[in-house]
Amino acid sequence: MKRSNPWLMVLFWVIISFLTLFPIYWLFVISVKPAVDLFSTPDIWLTKVYWQNYIDVLNDRTLRGYMMNSLIISSGNAVLCTTLGFLTCYALSRFNLPGKESIFFWTITNRMAPPAVFLLPMYLLLTQVYRVGDFALADTRIGMILVYCTFNLPFAIWTLRPTLDGIPRELDEAAYVDGASPLRVIVEVVFPLARPGLAVTLILTWVFAWNEYLLAATLTNFNARTLTTGLSEYVTTTGTEWGIMAAISVFTLIPALIVFSLVQRHIVTGLTFGAVKG
Amino acid sequence: MADVKIKNVIKRYGAVQVMHGVNVDIGHGEFVVLVGPSGCGKSTLLRMLAGLEEVSDGTISIGDRVVNDISPKERDIAMVFQSYALYPHKTVGENIGFPLRMAKRPKEEIDEKVRHAAGILDLTHLLDRYPKQLSGGQRQRVAMGRAIVRDPQVFLFDEPLSNLDAKLRVTMRVEIKELHQRLKTTIVYVTHDQIEAMTMADKIVVMRDGRVEQIGAPLDLYDRPGNVFVAGFIGSPSMNFLRGTIASTGGVKEFVSEAGLRLPVPPTAATEGQAVVYGIRPEHIGVGDNGTPVSVVVVEPTGSETQIFARAGTDLVNAVVKDRVRANPGQQIGFVIDPANVHLFDRQSEQRI
Repeated sequence: MKRSNPWLMVLFWVIISFLTLFPIYWLFVISVKPAVDLFSTPDIWLTKVYWQNYIDVLNDRTLRGYMMNSLIISSGNAVLCTTLGFLTCYALSRFNLPGKESIFFWTITNRMAPPAVFLLPMYLLLTQVYRVGDFALADTRIGMILVYCTFNLPFAIWTLRPTLDGIPRELDEAAYVDGASPLRVIVEVVFPLARPGLAVTLILTWVFAWNEYLLAATLTNFNARTLTTGLSEYVTTTGTEWGIMAAISVFTLIPALIVFSLVQRHIVTGLTFGAVKG
Repeated sequence: MADVKIKNVIKRYGAVQVMHGVNVDIGHGEFVVLVGPSGCGKSTLLRMLAGLEEVSDGTISIGDRVVNDISPKERDIAMVFQSYALYPHKTVGENIGFPLRMAKRPKEEIDEKVRHAAGILDLTHLLDRYPKQLSGGQRQRVAMGRAIVRDPQVFLFDEPLSNLDAKLRVTMRVEIKELHQRLKTTIVYVTHDQIEAMTMADKIVVMRDGRVEQIGAPLDLYDRPGNVFVAGFIGSPSMNFLRGTIASTGGVKEFVSEAGLRLPVPPTAATEGQAVVYGIRPEHIGVGDNGTPVSVVVVEPTGSETQIFARAGTDLVNAVVKDRVRANPGQQIGFVIDPANVHLFDRQSEQRI
């Protein structure tokens, strides 16, 4: 086989990287320019860094609240979905449940309709149905955590199923014979081996909840408002604060980039885990 | 060390019955091998002993306890799986110590017993490695280490050597047998390889289609197989079978094959005219001038012995002789059969006459 030219390969990846990273760079440039410069000198070169947009964002109590909401809702949702998804897949993978393939398929059908379809029912459920006295789930963090489960739990089940199926059943059996209780089998054997898949699921569900806009914009007012919806508040009748919006956008990007870089290795092994017998 | 009693055990999957009243008695410290072709129910029976499959009917006792409804954890057994089932995220030491940790033994005791087991199995230098860093034979030994470390009443082995290459299989066979002689623990061992069964067992249980065909010491099964299936299954290469009837010439009974070939028979209860299956092991056939004339088809010299496939009438008969025989395909030679080595089975019931 003829070896392809390494320089062509390098050039190819340089172009791809440039195309991918340029919008992020541009976003950053916008976030460190004062509003007056944005339109007067719309160039993409960074000559002077103006941090005021970031300072404004960090000093804004409301935005800090949104940030906290985003963090709590996405983390709570990711942990809940991954935990429930893990237990569901354990049951689907290990027990002879009647009709389990239908159950599996039924859970993932939730992902087939566009989220907008769920808006009105969700709104009614959260404001009218799930209500105890004055307390309703609408505009609460717990409410949003549960709402995101509608979409993230099927996803978690779908991604974790091959992981659990890929762990040989004989390992469970060996552990049972070695004297482990069912709970110990999960803790000692299944959980450690499912870790790559769990990491992938945790991150992808986290990112989904962190980035979600439509449902958060409809089902929250102030108390549980998230950072993505907070962004839209800077588009006002008197004008759009591009600099602040760019700074918030950078803030929303950072956690996602951090988690991705931390678990990149797991994502690769996780997505192929169970594909071949190891 | 305990005895194991399997009484009228039946296994059903839904409406399908796969095991039909199996009875086996296993004595203290006995090495029992369950052997049979794929799908005969030997692994299912072992898994029922381990508590990994439910018993549909009948009882299984270990020692003086009926264990039907007792979880694997409380049966005081240890099992070695075909795939070894080592925990890939634990080191060799952690794998071996796992059953003791589950039993909440003190750390010093676990360390000491792991070292002891590793010493027996020559694994001491590998205790910090992970299973993926080990060879097949080493993994097999770790799986055995995990079994012996807790000093169980019964060891269960589920085709433990079938993933190893032929040479290693022989070595491990010897190691397992030696381990049994040293520990004297009751062993139930499943294999489809009759050589393994013959070489290792105190007692062999031959199974087919969820039934026990015959139970006995290896040489008893070899010398006096109870039916055509056991006769064909035990022994390698497999026994030759010819179909025909018993005839009597001048008061002397002999066998007449369907193609008219006449062969000697031992003094037998078979009656004249009875339809029988005539069995003779390849190693019990000699080559000589005064033997039954056969026509050579293929000669396979292996160095230590020579295997001859020859046409006797219409049947293909296999003989294994120690001598180096030179014969060309199509050549006529004589097969000499000592009637004492002949097995006769009823054609209808396939049972030994």
